[in-house]
Amino acid sequence: MSLRVLSLNLLKNNRNFLQNAVRNSKGPGAQALAVAPYATQVTVQATPAAVQKQKVSKAMKAYLERAKEHDDFMKTQDLEFQIGKRHLANMMGADAETFTQEDIDEAIAYLFPSGLFDKRARPAMRSPEEVFPARKAAEFDETGRPFHSMFYTGKPNFFQLLHDIVEETNKLYDLEERMLRRGNKPDENQKLETAGFQLLPKDQLERVLVEHIADIEYQNFTNAMDRLISLPYSYKSKAFIERYLKPLIDQSKQLEVPKPKIDEQGRQYITTYECLRKTARADVTVRLPGTGKITINGQDISYFSSEECKEQLLFPLNYSEMLGKVDVEANVEGGGPSGQAGAIRWGIAMSLRSFVDQEMIESMRLAGLLTRDYRRRERKKYGQEGARRKYTWKKR
Amino acid sequence: MFRKQFGNLSRVSTHLSRNVLAARVASREAEMSTNAAPAEAATAPPVVNEFRTGVGNPGEHSDVQIGKFYTIPMEEKKQIFSGGGLPKQYEQQIKTFTEACLMVRSPALELLNYIKRADLSKPVVRYVLYGDNGVGKTLSMAHVLHYGMLNDFLLVHVPWAPNWMKRPKESANSASQEGFIDLPFDAAAWLVHFKTQNSKLLERLQLKTSKEYVWSKRESTPAGSSLIELVEHGIARIKYASETTAALISELKQLATAGQCKVMVAIDGYNAFFHPITRIFSDNKQRVSPDRITLTQPFLDITNYDWTNGVCILSVDKIAMTEGYMESYLPRYLLGKEGFEHLDPFVPVHVGNYTEKEFTSYIKYYLDRHWISKTQPGFEEQLKFMSNMNPYTLMQLVRGL
Repeated sequence: MSLRVLSLNLLKNNRNFLQNAVRNSKGPGAQALAVAPYATQVTVQATPAAVQKQKVSKAMKAYLERAKEHDDFMKTQDLEFQIGKRHLANMMGADAETFTQEDIDEAIAYLFPSGLFDKRARPAMRSPEEVFPARKAAEFDETGRPFHSMFYTGKPNFFQLLHDIVEETNKLYDLEERMLRRGNKPDENQKLETAGFQLLPKDQLERVLVEHIADIEYQNFTNAMDRLISLPYSYKSKAFIERYLKPLIDQSKQLEVPKPKIDEQGRQYITTYECLRKTARADVTVRLPGTGKITINGQDISYFSSEECKEQLLFPLNYSEMLGKVDVEANVEGGGPSGQAGAIRWGIAMSLRSFVDQEMIESMRLAGLLTRDYRRRERKKYGQEGARRKYTWKKR
Repeated sequence: MFRKQFGNLSRVSTHLSRNVLAARVASREAEMSTNAAPAEAATAPPVVNEFRTGVGNPGEHSDVQIGKFYTIPMEEKKQIFSGGGLPKQYEQQIKTFTEACLMVRSPALELLNYIKRADLSKPVVRYVLYGDNGVGKTLSMAHVLHYGMLNDFLLVHVPWAPNWMKRPKESANSASQEGFIDLPFDAAAWLVHFKTQNSKLLERLQLKTSKEYVWSKRESTPAGSSLIELVEHGIARIKYASETTAALISELKQLATAGQCKVMVAIDGYNAFFHPITRIFSDNKQRVSPDRITLTQPFLDITNYDWTNGVCILSVDKIAMTEGYMESYLPRYLLGKEGFEHLDPFVPVHVGNYTEKEFTSYIKYYLDRHWISKTQPGFEEQLKFMSNMNPYTLMQLVRGL
């Protein structure tokens, strides 16, 4: 930033030239600018002395004041953080120089044990860069002239992004036309693979752009990106597109169906561990050529006395049409009957994936059989009879 | 009571016209009541199909009939089970289906085989039915009871022994034995049950008491009076019902040993006699254990092996116990050391869940009775999974179908 300010100072006498330079830097320099993340440089270095002598616009003056204030603040914060880190290292008997953020987290968790449920609510100590949100650097020079041509849109980074997307799209349209004229077809092998990826969610995009965007603006972004991705030659702009894609690690992992193992009787089997529901924990083994036998902690289905619980176990088997074709063994502990039944149900459904076709798996997923139920018991509130219910109100 | 019984007999003809399956009974009843029309007796043979058998006599049942239903004629059902002996819900089902059908199952057949082959001149053999909840112990017993009735056994049948320990009608201090508790109403009710089951046979056999029973200064039953008189005295003088029961049972033992009659003892929930926790309280608000109840002794006595010409069919049941004593259904656990030693040696008969064949047969029966009307594809598999082929659970499940 400072570099740019300096260069502007030097070229200040010739406004026209400056304008040309800016315009020129837009052309070939745009790529380079787009590759570098948007305006993530947070702090502004102390303004060069040369600038202060010049006539400074009110906006710039105010900005410089704010920037200085912020700089000082961050400096003190950083100092405090370093001192805190040293103290912490001393307390833990570790070397302060090699004390990493991980060590800090460990030390805090040890020294300030917290029962709070939400992890973000627990005590923490992080570097001030992480704690305080990034701020935009100056967007205008000392005369008050904005650097960015889209400054007056209010969200220059965002609209620049839209602009870039359209530019890419147009480029690909041109390419397609040229290729069509030559009789070439897009390469099928290089086709862009977006399964298992998603566009950056709104909050992450906002962080990248350092700008707040509205829902409808985010929708415009997704629409433009979708159009770009759907183009036949989209693989040509792979580098650009991938900057705004996020891999779906969790879901793609879940989509991976484990291969069944073979037991000593030559039957296929799959064991699913960590089947959870409420406070019940289960592990479920499903064996393929079976007779519909079910064993729960060594007992048959009469382990559950209520009809509802038995139906819970029946559902995945019946739904996948595997009733009477597989044997189920389950070990379950903790929780009550309904929690245990729910845990086993999930385990059966997850294990059955290995024995049914892809279509059925998708259908089971849509039926909610493969979704974990993370609901827990809600705590009782003081001044109330239960979690939600209030005491009977009596006038007198 | 007597009048009621005769009333029943005279109404036989009307019953017959309604009950087409009672052809066999009709012929037997015709011997006893002269006004039964012989023309009606020969109507309509019993329905036979894949889940029903025409063989109505349990004595003729064999492995061929396993999993099939046979019909107990209403008259006989009334005679044997009017005082209890069928589970309440099964009784309701019978009423709904307007026929008393029992499935021929292997535990009952096994028991019948043992009884048929037993040498009655040897000391009595005790058979103990055991199994999990709702597998059909009582109904197996009912099947055997039907056999006993048709084969001239005197039935000493206690439909559900824990009733005495768990919900006695009334308890009183025993007059004859110090520190003992009488259950006069329950004893009288049992005597009525005994009389309903056996009055015809008693009349035919003309059994006499061996000694004089003195109840009080003015009341006594002289030696040589018939057993019916003894029973009726007990029913009329409820105060002495418990003692009458004891007297009756000791008389039956003697008569059977002497070869004058055959006796079939059937006690459901037998382990209640050995379970120390009851709901009977003495004067000082202490729980009374079953061995301090006068009604217990005769039934423990008759399940002893010191007599002949009889069979003992006993069932041990988890629900005869109280909370905390229901871990296992095995006889040793349920009877305890004392009870096990009392019965030892006995023949255990395990009653289990339905087999595949029995299960399909039952489903067909329910469909035939239109009891199951909502049939989606694969409902049998689902029912099998849900009920684990347990008869009682299945009965509960199909209620809503």
